Amino acid sequence: MNRKVLGFLPFLIFVFLCVFLYQGLFGNPRELQTGRLGQAMPSFNLPDLMNEQKRWTEKDLLGDVYLMNVWGTWCPTCIAELGYLTKLREQGVKIVGLYYEQAYDPDFGDNFDIHALREEVQTMLSRAGNPYQFNILDLERSLSLDLGVSGAPETFLVDKSGTILLHHTGDINQRVWRSKFLPALEELRNEN
Amino acid sequence: MIPEIGYFALVLAMALSLLLCIFPLWGAYTGNLRLMRAAPSLAIGQCLLVFFAFAVLIYITLTDDFTVAYVAHHSSSTLPWYYKVTSTWGGHEGAILLWLVMQSAWTALVAMMSKSLPWVLRARVLGVLGFLGVGFMLYTLWMSSPFERLLPYFPVEGRDLNPLLQDPGMIIHPPLLYMGYVGLSVSFSFAIAALLTGKLDNTWAKWSRPWTMAAWAFLTLGITIGSWWAYAELGWGGWWFWDPVENASLMPWLVATALLHSLAATEKRGVFKSWTVLLAIAAFSLCLLGTFIVRSGIIVSVHAFATDPDRGLYILSFLAVVVGGSLALYATRVAQVHSEGRYRFVSREVGLWLNNIFLVVATLIVLLGTLLPMIHKELGLGSISIGVPFFNQMFAILIVPFAILLGLAPMLRWKQNKLGGLVKKWGVIVALSLVVTATWLFSSYDQVSPLTFMATALAVWITVATASDLLQKISSQSSVMQGLKRLGLSYWAMMLGHVGLAFVIASVTLTSAYSVERAVAMKPGDVAMLNEYQYRFEGVKEIRGPNYSGHAGVVTVLKEGKVVTELYAEKRLYDIGMQFMTEAAIDDGFFRDLYLALGEQLSQGAWSLRIYHKPYVRWMWLGGLLIALAGFIVLGDKRYRRRSEKGIKG
Repeated sequence: MNRKVLGFLPFLIFVFLCVFLYQGLFGNPRELQTGRLGQAMPSFNLPDLMNEQKRWTEKDLLGDVYLMNVWGTWCPTCIAELGYLTKLREQGVKIVGLYYEQAYDPDFGDNFDIHALREEVQTMLSRAGNPYQFNILDLERSLSLDLGVSGAPETFLVDKSGTILLHHTGDINQRVWRSKFLPALEELRNEN
Repeated sequence: MIPEIGYFALVLAMALSLLLCIFPLWGAYTGNLRLMRAAPSLAIGQCLLVFFAFAVLIYITLTDDFTVAYVAHHSSSTLPWYYKVTSTWGGHEGAILLWLVMQSAWTALVAMMSKSLPWVLRARVLGVLGFLGVGFMLYTLWMSSPFERLLPYFPVEGRDLNPLLQDPGMIIHPPLLYMGYVGLSVSFSFAIAALLTGKLDNTWAKWSRPWTMAAWAFLTLGITIGSWWAYAELGWGGWWFWDPVENASLMPWLVATALLHSLAATEKRGVFKSWTVLLAIAAFSLCLLGTFIVRSGIIVSVHAFATDPDRGLYILSFLAVVVGGSLALYATRVAQVHSEGRYRFVSREVGLWLNNIFLVVATLIVLLGTLLPMIHKELGLGSISIGVPFFNQMFAILIVPFAILLGLAPMLRWKQNKLGGLVKKWGVIVALSLVVTATWLFSSYDQVSPLTFMATALAVWITVATASDLLQKISSQSSVMQGLKRLGLSYWAMMLGHVGLAFVIASVTLTSAYSVERAVAMKPGDVAMLNEYQYRFEGVKEIRGPNYSGHAGVVTVLKEGKVVTELYAEKRLYDIGMQFMTEAAIDDGFFRDLYLALGEQLSQGAWSLRIYHKPYVRWMWLGGLLIALAGFIVLGDKRYRRRSEKGIKG
């Protein structure tokens, strides 16, 4: 190749890169493109974290606008957001926990100590605040998988008809709540 | 009043930088010597002003002036004084000011130590540095002033420094890293000045080398300490996470390493000229790109710096002007550059050329891995994530030919080499390396996987090859002392740098292969076994620090019934942010680290504990330090102190 043309190559590559960097600046990297947005909450039948006799299905949740918060005691950010979520509960927001157990892997036939976990969850919630109406235990991660959960914490906003309106990855704080959740709730109120 | 004085000092500094950019460049263009002569005093003047502004920021942090937003957000009155000083670069605004401090210091140093340069070149180098200074100062003054006030409503107490950053490693890590980043702007300025002058000769390479070497050594040190900090502070025993922010520092390092080697070839043999210039531009461009990635928030990172699109836009524009401008200049000038040296395939030139290829490919892998998720999404192809396995696998593949080459190349001569004698010698070294590796690994471990064996053998090979080259160099002289004397500091530095890398390879390999960990629930008096060590849990003590409280798990470590050490693994709750922090207890040793982290309190007085046994992990940072030391040793070489041409070149 001609030396002159070759000399321009780095410049051209850089210009190409700049276009993407510019676009990236106005996109939000935390926004995942979830397939579930606007769709119904997937059906499930899972036990309560504190009481395995009690089982929850998606139908139990119909009729309320609620947040489904994926969390675990192993996840520091989840613990950090408990305080703010508790405040939200005090303001009347319904929050349902989807407990995601990380250490346990059913494929390896691990032993699972539900009592130790309950104790740990109790301690944690009494210390940092308990925002949850109840917690669903998703031991096999089936619901998490259906929801497209990629980590914890993640939070879904679901309306009365069970449609998923928002999928937020990362913690919920005042800024996120105001900029993301409040407008969505506002919109919902206007529709009704 | 005092913060405003700091701000005003920065305004003045920017005015001087503006003159520093205009006067010498215009003077060099028109041949006006008086304008060019103004450059050094302007450079020193702006440096003093920036230092003054920085001193002001440290002063207001130490005196807890919470009317200043930066202090209120990153410090608190209970913070120990040394962490208050650290907090001046613990946040975005302060970090950029620290960058400015470094930038102005390097500029002043160049002004003072470039007296032997012809005026046209000296003026242009300083002019380019002045331009970079203006860019960063404008940013600080316009978008990221650390002196902004929170009036009339200001808090009575600050928000405290992020507990993660309250660590001795964090005191020195950012300044060292910035010394490196900004130091590369000097190599960059030399390259641009040479392009502007149109004279890309060996002298340019010769002047640029010590500056590049210094910047690279600081960068090496910064990365090494950053890795050590992550290991000691993050509490899960990892040392490199391929996080975008880490990648942002690794990319300039890889390119700067290539640049060092390529500069050697350009200086000694007049080859690879245009390539070397491109590397110099690329090294600093990647520093700027890294800053953009880190500060604009376009990529999710655990380092989670505050993000702001306006700031991102400014840095991107600055990046576009600086990098785009210099690459355009490069494109128009490169056709006139001709390399003069001739060489055969088996020669040191080709060795260095291959070295460059590997390092640049490694850089591209990191760049792609870092940016591809974003590009993929912008193209509308959905979200993907490129994680640790991708980088690990790519680097594991690349290191093999690179390490083999690294053993071979230093023995090659410039221009050409007869292969005959070398092949026999290499055969002996390979055999010796295999024997040493086998003895080492099979005597220490029951199981040795082929991959582990190969990677360890590579590290041994580098060491043995380096040592045998040294032996040969010495034995060709009349006496050992004579031989040692003949070797220049540059040669020693090369040995040290290469052996340092061998240490890193060995450490990464053995730590990855033979680290073991256990998560246990223990009550006081319980004993857990891990490898040959016994860990006896003595109980948990309450602790109270200046700005935190918490628990310390006390564990006695025994080996064959004898007490080795007592470890205190802490779990701290910081008063202001109410943040939990795991402060791991580490018993460091040359051959292994014992690493202990305290987990949650369980029922009936039991605690969860994580115990790690990490063999040879310390060699990683030892290797990093050796590599950095090599860079600093070169600076002491005669060639850079006096203008003589003695000493054997490495």
